[in-house]
Amino acid sequence: MSQAQTTIIADSVAIERAPPKPKTKAKDGKGVNGTAITLIGLVVLFGGWSLAVKYLEVPSYILPTPLAVWKALWSGIAVSPSSPLGYYLPLWGTLKNAAIGLAIGSGLGLTLGSLMAESRLIEKLVMPYAFALQSLPKVAIAPLIVIWFGFGDGSKIAISALLAFFPMLINSFTGLRAVEPERIDLMRSLSASRFETYRIVKLPNAAPFIFAGLDMAVVYALLGTIVAEFLGAQQGMGVVITQAQAVTDVAGVFAALVILGAMGITLHAIVRGLEKKVVHWGDRGRK
Amino acid sequence: MPALAQVHPLNAASSPQRDLIRIRGLDKTYAGGSVHALSAIDLDIKDGEFVCVVGPSGCGKSTLLRILAGLDDYDTGTAALDGKTISGPSRDVGVVFQAANLLPWLTVRENIALPLRVGGKQVGQAEDIDRLLDVAGLKDFGERFPYELSGGMQQRAGICRALVRSPRVLLMDEPFGALDALTRERMNLELQRIWQASRKTVLLITHSISEAIFLADRVVVMSARPGRVICELEVPIPRPRSNDTIISHPAYPALAKEIRGLLNAQGDE
Repeated sequence: MSQAQTTIIADSVAIERAPPKPKTKAKDGKGVNGTAITLIGLVVLFGGWSLAVKYLEVPSYILPTPLAVWKALWSGIAVSPSSPLGYYLPLWGTLKNAAIGLAIGSGLGLTLGSLMAESRLIEKLVMPYAFALQSLPKVAIAPLIVIWFGFGDGSKIAISALLAFFPMLINSFTGLRAVEPERIDLMRSLSASRFETYRIVKLPNAAPFIFAGLDMAVVYALLGTIVAEFLGAQQGMGVVITQAQAVTDVAGVFAALVILGAMGITLHAIVRGLEKKVVHWGDRGRK
Repeated sequence: MPALAQVHPLNAASSPQRDLIRIRGLDKTYAGGSVHALSAIDLDIKDGEFVCVVGPSGCGKSTLLRILAGLDDYDTGTAALDGKTISGPSRDVGVVFQAANLLPWLTVRENIALPLRVGGKQVGQAEDIDRLLDVAGLKDFGERFPYELSGGMQQRAGICRALVRSPRVLLMDEPFGALDALTRERMNLELQRIWQASRKTVLLITHSISEAIFLADRVVVMSARPGRVICELEVPIPRPRSNDTIISHPAYPALAKEIRGLLNAQGDE
Protein backbone atom coordinates (compact mmCIF):
# COMPACT_ATOMS: atom_id res chain seq x y z
CA MET A 1 0.00 0.00 0.00
CA SER A 2 2.73 2.44 0.92
CA GLN A 3 4.48 1.58 -2.33
CA ALA A 4 1.43 2.70 -4.26
CA GLN A 5 1.30 5.89 -2.25
CA THR A 6 4.92 6.57 -2.99
CA THR A 7 4.22 6.26 -6.67
CA ILE A 8 1.21 8.54 -6.52
CA ILE A 9 3.09 11.25 -4.67
CA ALA A 10 6.13 10.85 -6.85
CA ASP A 11 3.92 11.21 -9.92
CA SER A 12 2.35 14.41 -8.66
CA VAL A 13 5.83 15.82 -8.15
CA ALA A 14 6.88 14.69 -11.59
CA ILE A 15 3.97 16.55 -13.13
CA GLU A 16 4.90 19.81 -11.48
CA ARG A 17 8.47 19.59 -12.67
CA ALA A 18 10.12 16.41 -13.77
CA PRO A 19 13.88 16.31 -13.30
CA PRO A 20 16.03 15.92 -15.24
CA LYS A 21 14.22 17.62 -18.02
CA PRO A 22 15.35 18.05 -21.60
CA LYS A 23 17.12 21.26 -22.34
CA THR A 24 15.27 23.58 -24.69
CA LYS A 25 17.03 26.29 -26.58
CA ALA A 26 15.92 29.90 -26.14
CA LYS A 27 15.60 30.22 -29.87
CA ASP A 28 13.54 27.64 -31.69
CA GLY A 29 15.84 27.59 -34.66
CA LYS A 30 13.32 29.26 -36.95
CA GLY A 31 15.20 32.55 -36.92
CA VAL A 32 12.52 34.27 -34.83
CA ASN A 33 13.79 36.34 -31.93
CA GLY A 34 12.05 35.13 -28.74
CA THR A 35 12.69 38.39 -26.88
CA ALA A 36 10.99 40.44 -29.60
CA ILE A 37 7.90 38.23 -29.46
CA THR A 38 7.73 38.59 -25.68
CA LEU A 39 8.01 42.39 -25.99
CA ILE A 40 5.30 42.56 -28.66
CA GLY A 41 3.08 40.41 -26.43
CA LEU A 42 3.62 42.78 -23.52
CA VAL A 43 2.74 45.84 -25.61
CA VAL A 44 -0.42 44.15 -26.91
CA LEU A 45 -1.38 43.07 -23.39
CA PHE A 46 -0.95 46.49 -21.76
CA GLY A 47 -2.37 48.36 -24.77
CA GLY A 48 -5.45 46.13 -24.82
CA TRP A 49 -5.80 46.46 -21.07
CA SER A 50 -5.65 50.30 -21.22
CA LEU A 51 -8.09 50.49 -24.13
CA ALA A 52 -10.49 48.01 -22.53
CA VAL A 53 -10.59 49.93 -19.25
CA LYS A 54 -11.10 53.23 -21.12
CA TYR A 55 -13.70 52.24 -23.73
CA LEU A 56 -15.61 49.61 -21.72
CA GLU A 57 -15.73 52.15 -18.87
CA VAL A 58 -14.57 49.66 -16.25
CA PRO A 59 -14.59 51.42 -12.86
CA SER A 60 -11.11 51.83 -11.35
CA TYR A 61 -12.13 49.93 -8.19
CA ILE A 62 -12.68 46.85 -10.38
CA LEU A 63 -9.74 47.16 -12.76
CA PRO A 64 -7.32 50.07 -12.70
CA THR A 65 -5.42 51.16 -15.81
CA PRO A 66 -1.83 49.99 -16.22
CA LEU A 67 -0.78 53.61 -15.70
CA ALA A 68 -2.55 53.73 -12.32
CA VAL A 69 -0.82 50.51 -11.31
CA TRP A 70 2.53 51.92 -12.43
CA LYS A 71 1.94 55.08 -10.36
CA ALA A 72 1.07 53.04 -7.28
CA LEU A 73 4.13 50.89 -7.88
CA TRP A 74 6.41 53.90 -8.31
CA SER A 75 5.10 55.53 -5.15
CA GLY A 76 6.18 52.45 -3.23
CA ILE A 77 9.56 52.20 -4.94
CA ALA A 78 10.70 55.82 -5.19
CA VAL A 79 10.98 56.35 -1.45
CA SER A 80 13.69 56.03 1.14
CA PRO A 81 14.26 52.36 2.10
CA SER A 82 13.27 53.15 5.69
CA SER A 83 10.01 54.87 4.74
CA PRO A 84 6.87 53.20 6.15
CA LEU A 85 5.13 54.00 2.84
CA GLY A 86 7.59 52.07 0.68
CA TYR A 87 7.76 48.37 -0.22
CA TYR A 88 11.19 47.89 1.28
CA LEU A 89 10.30 47.30 4.94
CA PRO A 90 7.30 45.01 4.31
CA LEU A 91 9.19 43.13 1.59
CA TRP A 92 12.15 42.64 3.90
CA GLY A 93 9.82 41.35 6.65
CA THR A 94 8.08 38.92 4.29
CA LEU A 95 11.30 37.66 2.69
CA LYS A 96 13.00 37.20 6.05
CA ASN A 97 10.18 35.06 7.46
CA ALA A 98 9.82 33.14 4.21
CA ALA A 99 13.58 32.48 4.17
CA ILE A 100 13.63 31.23 7.77
CA GLY A 101 10.56 29.08 7.08
CA LEU A 102 12.17 27.76 3.89
CA ALA A 103 15.37 26.86 5.71
CA ILE A 104 13.52 25.04 8.50
CA GLY A 105 10.94 23.36 6.25
CA SER A 106 13.30 22.23 3.52
CA GLY A 107 15.94 21.19 6.07
CA LEU A 108 13.42 18.99 7.86
CA GLY A 109 12.05 17.73 4.53
CA LEU A 110 15.51 16.72 3.31
CA THR A 111 16.34 15.06 6.64
CA LEU A 112 13.13 13.08 6.89
CA GLY A 113 13.21 12.28 3.15
CA SER A 114 16.74 10.91 3.63
CA LEU A 115 15.72 8.79 6.62
CA MET A 116 12.74 7.44 4.67
CA ALA A 117 14.91 6.62 1.66
CA GLU A 118 17.42 4.80 3.87
CA SER A 119 14.97 2.86 6.02
CA ARG A 120 11.95 0.89 4.85
CA LEU A 121 10.70 0.95 8.44
CA ILE A 122 10.68 4.75 8.64
CA GLU A 123 9.19 4.90 5.14
CA LYS A 124 6.30 2.63 6.15
CA LEU A 125 5.85 4.57 9.37
CA VAL A 126 5.87 8.07 7.87
CA MET A 127 4.54 7.66 4.33
CA PRO A 128 0.80 7.30 5.21
CA TYR A 129 0.90 10.53 7.20
CA ALA A 130 2.97 12.31 4.59
CA PHE A 131 0.45 11.23 1.97
CA ALA A 132 -2.55 12.30 4.09
CA LEU A 133 -1.01 15.70 4.85
CA GLN A 134 0.08 16.15 1.24
CA SER A 135 -3.55 15.73 0.12
CA LEU A 136 -4.73 18.31 2.65
CA PRO A 137 -4.89 21.92 1.41
CA LYS A 138 -2.27 23.11 3.85
CA VAL A 139 -3.22 26.80 3.89
CA ALA A 140 -6.43 25.57 5.57
CA ILE A 141 -4.28 24.80 8.63
CA ALA A 142 -3.07 28.42 8.73
CA PRO A 143 -5.76 29.68 11.18
CA LEU A 144 -4.83 26.86 13.56
CA ILE A 145 -1.17 27.76 13.35
CA VAL A 146 -1.97 31.39 14.12
CA ILE A 147 -3.74 30.18 17.30
CA TRP A 148 -0.65 28.17 18.25
CA PHE A 149 2.07 30.63 17.25
CA GLY A 150 0.30 34.01 17.58
CA PHE A 151 0.24 36.94 15.16
CA GLY A 152 4.00 37.55 15.28
CA ASP A 153 6.80 36.17 13.08
CA GLY A 154 6.31 32.67 14.56
CA SER A 155 3.14 31.85 12.67
CA LYS A 156 4.56 33.18 9.39
CA ILE A 157 7.69 31.06 9.74
CA ALA A 158 5.66 28.01 10.80
CA ILE A 159 3.29 28.13 7.81
CA SER A 160 6.17 28.77 5.39
CA ALA A 161 8.07 25.85 6.87
CA LEU A 162 5.01 23.60 6.61
CA LEU A 163 4.50 24.46 2.95
CA ALA A 164 8.20 24.17 2.07
CA PHE A 165 8.50 20.84 3.88
CA PHE A 166 6.50 18.61 1.53
CA PRO A 167 8.09 19.23 -1.87
CA MET A 168 11.49 18.72 -0.25
CA LEU A 169 10.39 15.56 1.57
CA ILE A 170 8.92 13.91 -1.50
CA ASN A 171 11.58 15.03 -3.96
CA SER A 172 14.54 14.11 -1.79
CA PHE A 173 12.96 10.74 -1.02
CA THR A 174 12.25 10.06 -4.70
CA GLY A 175 15.69 11.27 -5.79
CA LEU A 176 17.60 9.27 -3.18
CA ARG A 177 15.75 6.11 -4.21
CA ALA A 178 16.42 6.74 -7.91
CA VAL A 179 20.11 5.93 -7.68
CA GLU A 180 21.55 3.59 -10.35
CA PRO A 181 22.25 0.10 -8.93
CA GLU A 182 25.72 0.07 -10.56
CA ARG A 183 26.75 3.03 -8.41
CA ILE A 184 25.61 1.23 -5.28
CA ASP A 185 27.55 -1.86 -6.46
CA LEU A 186 30.64 0.30 -6.84
CA MET A 187 30.38 1.55 -3.25
CA ARG A 188 29.65 -1.94 -1.94
CA SER A 189 32.68 -3.33 -3.78
CA LEU A 190 34.75 -0.73 -1.91
CA SER A 191 33.22 -1.71 1.46
CA ALA A 192 31.96 1.86 1.80
CA SER A 193 29.87 2.65 4.86
CA ARG A 194 26.22 3.52 4.56
CA PHE A 195 26.91 7.17 5.27
CA GLU A 196 29.75 7.28 2.72
CA THR A 197 27.40 5.85 0.11
CA TYR A 198 24.76 8.41 1.05
CA ARG A 199 27.14 11.35 0.97
CA ILE A 200 29.27 10.46 -2.05
CA VAL A 201 26.71 8.75 -4.30
CA LYS A 202 23.08 9.07 -3.27
CA LEU A 203 22.97 12.74 -2.30
CA PRO A 204 24.71 14.12 -5.43
CA ASN A 205 22.69 11.66 -7.49
CA ALA A 206 19.48 13.12 -6.01
CA ALA A 207 20.61 16.74 -6.49
CA PRO A 208 18.45 17.40 -9.59
CA PHE A 209 15.39 16.15 -7.69
CA ILE A 210 16.29 18.14 -4.60
CA PHE A 211 16.68 21.33 -6.64
CA ALA A 212 13.30 20.74 -8.27
CA GLY A 213 11.88 20.41 -4.75
CA LEU A 214 13.68 23.56 -3.63
CA ASP A 215 12.30 25.43 -6.62
CA MET A 216 8.77 24.60 -5.47
CA ALA A 217 9.58 25.08 -1.79
CA VAL A 218 10.82 28.66 -2.37
CA VAL A 219 7.52 29.71 -3.93
CA TYR A 220 5.51 27.83 -1.30
CA ALA A 221 7.44 29.46 1.55
CA LEU A 222 6.67 32.91 0.11
CA LEU A 223 3.02 31.90 -0.29
CA GLY A 224 2.91 30.64 3.31
CA THR A 225 4.18 33.92 4.72
CA ILE A 226 1.71 35.99 2.65
CA VAL A 227 -1.23 33.81 3.73
CA ALA A 228 -0.20 34.12 7.39
CA GLU A 229 0.07 37.88 6.95
CA PHE A 230 -3.47 37.99 5.55
CA LEU A 231 -4.66 36.51 8.83
CA GLY A 232 -3.01 39.25 10.83
CA ALA A 233 0.40 40.88 11.03
CA GLN A 234 2.14 44.14 11.82
CA GLN A 235 4.04 44.30 8.55
CA GLY A 236 4.75 42.44 5.36
CA MET A 237 3.58 42.34 1.75
CA GLY A 238 0.41 40.55 2.86
CA VAL A 239 -0.38 43.54 5.06
CA VAL A 240 0.30 45.94 2.16
CA ILE A 241 -2.28 44.02 0.11
CA THR A 242 -4.96 43.86 2.83
CA GLN A 243 -4.48 47.56 3.66
CA ALA A 244 -4.88 48.58 0.03
CA GLN A 245 -7.90 46.31 -0.27
CA ALA A 246 -9.48 47.89 2.83
CA VAL A 247 -9.58 51.29 1.10
CA THR A 248 -10.44 49.77 -2.32
CA ASP A 249 -7.06 50.90 -3.64
CA VAL A 250 -7.12 48.22 -6.35
CA ALA A 251 -4.15 49.79 -8.13
CA GLY A 252 -2.22 49.40 -4.87
CA VAL A 253 -3.20 45.69 -4.68
CA PHE A 254 -2.04 45.18 -8.27
CA ALA A 255 1.24 46.97 -7.55
CA ALA A 256 1.93 44.73 -4.54
CA LEU A 257 1.17 41.68 -6.68
CA VAL A 258 3.66 42.90 -9.29
CA ILE A 259 6.30 43.13 -6.56
CA LEU A 260 5.51 39.59 -5.36
CA GLY A 261 5.54 38.29 -8.93
CA ALA A 262 8.94 39.85 -9.52
CA MET A 263 10.13 38.30 -6.26
CA GLY A 264 8.93 34.87 -7.32
CA ILE A 265 10.67 35.11 -10.69
CA THR A 266 13.89 36.30 -9.04
CA LEU A 267 13.89 33.48 -6.47
CA HIS A 268 13.17 30.92 -9.19
CA ALA A 269 16.07 32.29 -11.24
CA ILE A 270 18.37 32.10 -8.21
CA VAL A 271 17.46 28.45 -7.57
CA ARG A 272 17.95 27.57 -11.24
CA GLY A 273 21.28 29.40 -11.32
CA LEU A 274 22.38 27.55 -8.20
CA GLU A 275 21.28 24.24 -9.71
CA LYS A 276 23.26 24.84 -12.88
CA LYS A 277 26.33 25.55 -10.81
CA VAL A 278 25.98 22.61 -8.44
CA VAL A 279 24.59 20.01 -10.89
CA HIS A 280 27.18 20.87 -13.52
CA TRP A 281 27.00 17.41 -15.08
CA GLY A 282 23.32 17.94 -15.94
CA ASP A 283 21.66 15.03 -17.72
CA ARG A 284 25.00 13.49 -18.58
CA GLY A 285 25.03 11.63 -15.26
CA ARG A 286 22.32 9.24 -16.41
CA LYS A 287 22.26 6.39 -18.84
CA MET B 1 40.98 -7.28 4.52
CA PRO B 2 44.19 -5.34 4.88
CA ALA B 3 45.76 -8.03 7.07
CA LEU B 4 45.75 -10.37 4.11
CA ALA B 5 47.88 -8.01 2.07
CA GLN B 6 50.43 -7.81 4.86
CA VAL B 7 50.73 -11.53 5.41
CA HIS B 8 51.04 -12.18 1.69
CA PRO B 9 52.88 -9.25 0.18
CA LEU B 10 52.42 -8.60 -3.51
CA ASN B 11 54.97 -10.95 -4.89
CA ALA B 12 53.64 -12.95 -7.75
CA ALA B 13 57.07 -14.03 -8.92
CA SER B 14 57.80 -16.15 -5.86
CA SER B 15 54.87 -18.50 -6.45
CA PRO B 16 53.59 -18.08 -9.99
CA GLN B 17 51.83 -21.42 -10.12
CA ARG B 18 49.86 -21.12 -6.88
CA ASP B 19 46.07 -20.88 -7.21
CA LEU B 20 44.89 -17.50 -5.98
CA ILE B 21 41.22 -18.12 -6.72
CA ARG B 22 39.71 -21.54 -6.17
CA ILE B 23 36.09 -22.29 -7.00
CA ARG B 24 34.55 -25.68 -6.25
CA GLY B 25 31.03 -26.89 -7.04
CA LEU B 26 29.63 -23.36 -7.04
CA ASP B 27 25.85 -23.24 -7.41
CA LYS B 28 23.64 -20.20 -7.55
CA THR B 29 19.90 -19.82 -8.06
CA TYR B 30 17.86 -16.64 -8.34
CA ALA B 31 14.25 -15.76 -7.67
CA GLY B 32 13.63 -18.32 -4.97
CA GLY B 33 15.27 -21.15 -6.87
CA SER B 34 13.34 -20.74 -10.12
CA VAL B 35 16.30 -19.40 -12.09
CA HIS B 36 19.36 -21.62 -12.03
CA ALA B 37 22.23 -19.23 -12.82
CA LEU B 38 25.35 -21.26 -12.08
CA SER B 39 25.72 -24.99 -11.82
CA ALA B 40 28.67 -26.82 -10.25
CA ILE B 41 31.34 -24.36 -11.36
CA ASP B 42 34.90 -25.56 -10.83
CA LEU B 43 37.56 -23.03 -11.68
CA ASP B 44 41.07 -22.28 -10.49
CA ILE B 45 42.94 -19.11 -11.33
CA LYS B 46 46.67 -18.95 -10.72
CA ASP B 47 48.39 -15.99 -9.17
CA GLY B 48 49.25 -13.54 -11.93
CA GLU B 49 47.15 -15.32 -14.55
CA PHE B 50 44.91 -13.57 -17.05
CA VAL B 51 41.68 -15.52 -17.54
CA CYS B 52 38.90 -14.55 -19.93
CA VAL B 53 35.41 -15.98 -19.57
CA VAL B 54 33.20 -16.22 -22.65
CA GLY B 55 29.70 -17.60 -22.85
CA PRO B 56 26.25 -17.00 -24.28
CA SER B 57 24.17 -14.09 -22.98
CA GLY B 58 22.62 -14.78 -19.63
CA CYS B 59 24.88 -17.73 -18.88
CA GLY B 60 25.74 -16.38 -15.47
CA LYS B 61 29.24 -15.07 -16.20
CA SER B 62 28.37 -11.75 -14.59
CA THR B 63 26.95 -13.63 -11.61
CA LEU B 64 30.23 -15.51 -11.28
CA LEU B 65 32.13 -12.22 -11.29
CA ARG B 66 29.75 -10.66 -8.74
CA ILE B 67 30.23 -13.64 -6.42
CA LEU B 68 34.02 -13.29 -6.65
CA ALA B 69 33.65 -9.54 -6.00
CA GLY B 70 31.63 -10.32 -2.88
CA LEU B 71 28.59 -8.51 -4.28
CA ASP B 72 26.38 -11.61 -4.59
CA ASP B 73 26.17 -14.67 -2.38
CA TYR B 74 25.92 -18.27 -3.56
CA ASP B 75 23.95 -21.32 -2.55
CA THR B 76 26.37 -24.23 -2.36
CA GLY B 77 30.01 -24.93 -3.09
CA THR B 78 32.99 -22.77 -2.22
CA ALA B 79 34.72 -19.73 -3.66
CA ALA B 80 38.00 -18.84 -2.01
CA LEU B 81 40.53 -16.10 -2.52
CA ASP B 82 44.01 -17.04 -1.35
CA GLY B 83 42.58 -19.82 0.79
CA LYS B 84 39.98 -17.63 2.46
CA THR B 85 36.31 -18.13 1.70
CA ILE B 86 34.82 -15.10 -0.03
CA SER B 87 32.11 -13.67 2.17
CA GLY B 88 32.02 -10.05 1.03
CA PRO B 89 33.95 -7.34 -0.80
CA SER B 90 37.68 -7.40 -0.21
CA ARG B 91 40.51 -4.90 -0.49
CA ASP B 92 42.38 -7.52 -2.49
CA VAL B 93 39.83 -7.29 -5.30
CA GLY B 94 39.38 -4.40 -7.72
CA VAL B 95 36.27 -4.34 -9.89
CA VAL B 96 36.05 -2.74 -13.34
CA PHE B 97 32.42 -2.22 -14.26
CA GLN B 98 30.67 -2.12 -17.61
CA ALA B 99 30.59 1.40 -19.12
CA ALA B 100 33.17 2.75 -16.63
CA ASN B 101 30.59 3.64 -13.94
CA LEU B 102 32.40 6.84 -12.96
CA LEU B 103 30.62 9.33 -10.72
CA PRO B 104 29.84 12.39 -12.86
CA TRP B 105 30.09 14.86 -9.96
CA LEU B 106 33.70 13.93 -9.23
CA THR B 107 36.72 14.82 -11.34
CA VAL B 108 38.70 12.02 -12.95
CA ARG B 109 41.29 12.29 -10.18
CA GLU B 110 38.62 12.23 -7.46
CA ASN B 111 37.01 9.22 -9.10
CA ILE B 112 40.30 7.34 -9.17
CA ALA B 113 41.04 8.32 -5.56
CA LEU B 114 37.56 7.30 -4.36
CA PRO B 115 38.60 3.83 -3.13
CA LEU B 116 41.18 5.49 -0.86
CA ARG B 117 38.53 7.72 0.74
CA VAL B 118 35.97 5.10 1.67
CA GLY B 119 35.71 1.73 3.35
CA GLY B 120 37.39 2.46 6.64
CA LYS B 121 41.05 2.71 7.58
CA GLN B 122 43.47 2.50 4.70
CA VAL B 123 46.02 0.03 5.97
CA GLY B 124 46.95 -1.51 2.65
CA GLN B 125 49.11 -0.14 -0.11
CA ALA B 126 47.93 2.78 -2.20
CA GLU B 127 49.07 3.50 -5.73
CA ASP B 128 50.31 6.93 -6.67
CA ILE B 129 47.46 8.57 -8.53
CA ASP B 130 49.70 10.69 -10.74
CA ARG B 131 51.55 7.57 -11.83
CA LEU B 132 48.28 5.76 -12.57
CA LEU B 133 47.02 8.72 -14.61
CA ASP B 134 50.29 8.72 -16.50
CA VAL B 135 50.20 4.97 -17.21
CA ALA B 136 46.61 5.23 -18.44
CA GLY B 137 47.37 8.22 -20.68
CA LEU B 138 45.17 10.52 -18.62
CA LYS B 139 47.92 12.78 -17.33
CA ASP B 140 46.27 15.98 -18.56
CA PHE B 141 42.74 14.93 -17.70
CA GLY B 142 42.87 14.51 -13.92
CA GLU B 143 40.96 17.70 -13.21
CA ARG B 144 38.37 17.11 -15.94
CA PHE B 145 34.97 15.61 -15.33
CA PRO B 146 34.05 12.20 -16.77
CA TYR B 147 31.60 13.64 -19.30
CA GLU B 148 34.46 15.61 -20.86
CA LEU B 149 36.25 12.33 -21.71
CA SER B 150 35.73 9.83 -24.51
CA GLY B 151 34.31 6.41 -23.68
CA GLY B 152 37.73 4.79 -23.93
CA MET B 153 39.30 7.35 -21.60
CA GLN B 154 36.46 6.91 -19.13
CA GLN B 155 37.05 3.18 -19.01
CA ARG B 156 40.79 3.72 -18.57
CA ALA B 157 39.94 5.88 -15.56
CA GLY B 158 37.67 3.05 -14.36
CA ILE B 159 40.64 0.66 -14.55
CA CYS B 160 42.81 3.14 -12.64
CA ARG B 161 40.17 3.31 -9.93
CA ALA B 162 40.14 -0.48 -9.66
CA LEU B 163 43.94 -0.47 -9.36
CA VAL B 164 44.38 2.33 -6.84
CA ARG B 165 44.13 0.12 -3.74
CA SER B 166 46.74 -2.12 -5.33
CA PRO B 167 44.52 -5.21 -5.28
CA ARG B 168 45.84 -8.65 -6.11
CA VAL B 169 42.86 -9.51 -8.30
CA LEU B 170 41.20 -7.45 -11.02
CA LEU B 171 37.66 -8.47 -11.97
CA MET B 172 36.42 -6.95 -15.24
CA ASP B 173 32.83 -7.27 -16.42
CA GLU B 174 32.74 -6.64 -20.19
CA PRO B 175 34.79 -3.50 -19.65
CA PHE B 176 35.04 -2.56 -23.34
CA GLY B 177 31.63 -3.75 -24.48
CA ALA B 178 30.33 -0.23 -25.00
CA LEU B 179 33.29 0.91 -27.10
CA ASP B 180 33.68 0.87 -30.88
CA ALA B 181 35.83 -1.85 -32.42
CA LEU B 182 38.86 0.35 -33.05
CA THR B 183 38.93 1.84 -29.56
CA ARG B 184 38.40 -1.62 -28.20
CA GLU B 185 41.51 -2.96 -29.93
CA ARG B 186 43.54 -0.07 -28.56
CA MET B 187 42.14 -0.66 -25.06
CA ASN B 188 43.08 -4.34 -25.27
CA LEU B 189 46.62 -3.35 -26.12
CA GLU B 190 46.76 -0.92 -23.21
CA LEU B 191 45.24 -3.41 -20.80
CA GLN B 192 47.89 -5.96 -21.80
CA ARG B 193 50.56 -3.34 -21.15
CA ILE B 194 49.10 -2.40 -17.74
CA TRP B 195 48.74 -6.06 -16.83
CA GLN B 196 52.30 -6.91 -17.88
CA ALA B 197 53.56 -4.04 -15.74
CA SER B 198 51.49 -4.91 -12.66
CA ARG B 199 51.06 -8.70 -13.01
CA LYS B 200 47.68 -8.70 -11.33
CA THR B 201 45.50 -11.76 -11.46
CA VAL B 202 42.74 -10.86 -13.91
CA LEU B 203 39.35 -12.38 -14.61
CA LEU B 204 37.73 -10.64 -17.57
CA ILE B 205 34.28 -11.34 -18.95
CA THR B 206 33.72 -10.68 -22.63
CA HIS B 207 31.44 -11.40 -25.56
CA SER B 208 34.27 -11.09 -28.04
CA ILE B 209 36.21 -14.20 -28.99
CA SER B 210 39.07 -12.18 -30.50
CA GLU B 211 39.30 -10.06 -27.36
CA ALA B 212 39.42 -13.17 -25.19
CA ILE B 213 42.23 -14.74 -27.24
CA PHE B 214 44.15 -11.48 -27.42
CA LEU B 215 44.14 -10.92 -23.68
CA ALA B 216 43.97 -14.31 -22.01
CA ASP B 217 46.47 -16.86 -20.81
CA ARG B 218 43.47 -19.14 -20.61
CA VAL B 219 39.97 -18.84 -22.07
CA VAL B 220 37.12 -20.34 -20.06
CA VAL B 221 34.02 -21.19 -22.09
CA MET B 222 30.71 -21.34 -20.25
CA SER B 223 27.48 -23.06 -21.26
CA ALA B 224 24.04 -21.50 -21.55
CA ARG B 225 22.02 -21.26 -18.36
CA PRO B 226 22.54 -22.86 -15.94
CA GLY B 227 26.14 -21.76 -16.45
CA ARG B 228 28.78 -24.49 -16.34
CA VAL B 229 32.42 -24.46 -17.37
CA ILE B 230 32.43 -26.54 -20.54
CA CYS B 231 35.97 -25.95 -21.71
CA GLU B 232 39.23 -24.31 -20.69
CA LEU B 233 41.69 -23.45 -23.45
CA GLU B 234 45.27 -22.28 -22.97
CA VAL B 235 46.37 -19.55 -25.36
CA PRO B 236 49.91 -20.47 -26.43
CA ILE B 237 50.65 -17.14 -28.11
CA PRO B 238 53.69 -15.34 -26.69
CA ARG B 239 53.48 -11.84 -25.23
CA PRO B 240 53.51 -8.99 -25.83
CA ARG B 241 50.82 -9.64 -28.41
CA SER B 242 49.75 -7.10 -30.97
CA ASN B 243 46.58 -6.85 -32.97
CA ASP B 244 48.51 -7.66 -36.16
CA THR B 245 50.65 -10.55 -34.96
CA ILE B 246 47.91 -12.34 -33.07
CA ILE B 247 45.77 -13.09 -36.12
CA SER B 248 48.74 -14.37 -38.09
CA HIS B 249 49.87 -16.68 -35.28
CA PRO B 250 49.29 -20.31 -36.32
CA ALA B 251 47.40 -21.12 -33.10
CA TYR B 252 44.87 -18.31 -33.54
CA PRO B 253 42.47 -19.69 -36.19
CA ALA B 254 42.09 -23.11 -34.56
CA LEU B 255 41.52 -21.52 -31.16
CA ALA B 256 38.93 -19.06 -32.47
CA LYS B 257 37.22 -21.83 -34.41
CA GLU B 258 37.05 -24.08 -31.37
CA ILE B 259 35.61 -21.37 -29.10
CA ARG B 260 33.10 -20.34 -31.75
CA GLY B 261 32.07 -23.97 -32.20
CA LEU B 262 31.57 -24.40 -28.46
CA LEU B 263 29.48 -21.22 -28.27
CA ASN B 264 27.43 -22.08 -31.36
CA ALA B 265 26.64 -25.47 -29.84
CA GLN B 266 24.97 -23.48 -27.05
CA GLY B 267 22.45 -22.09 -29.49
CA ASP B 268 23.11 -18.46 -28.65
CA GLU B 269 25.40 -15.89 -30.27
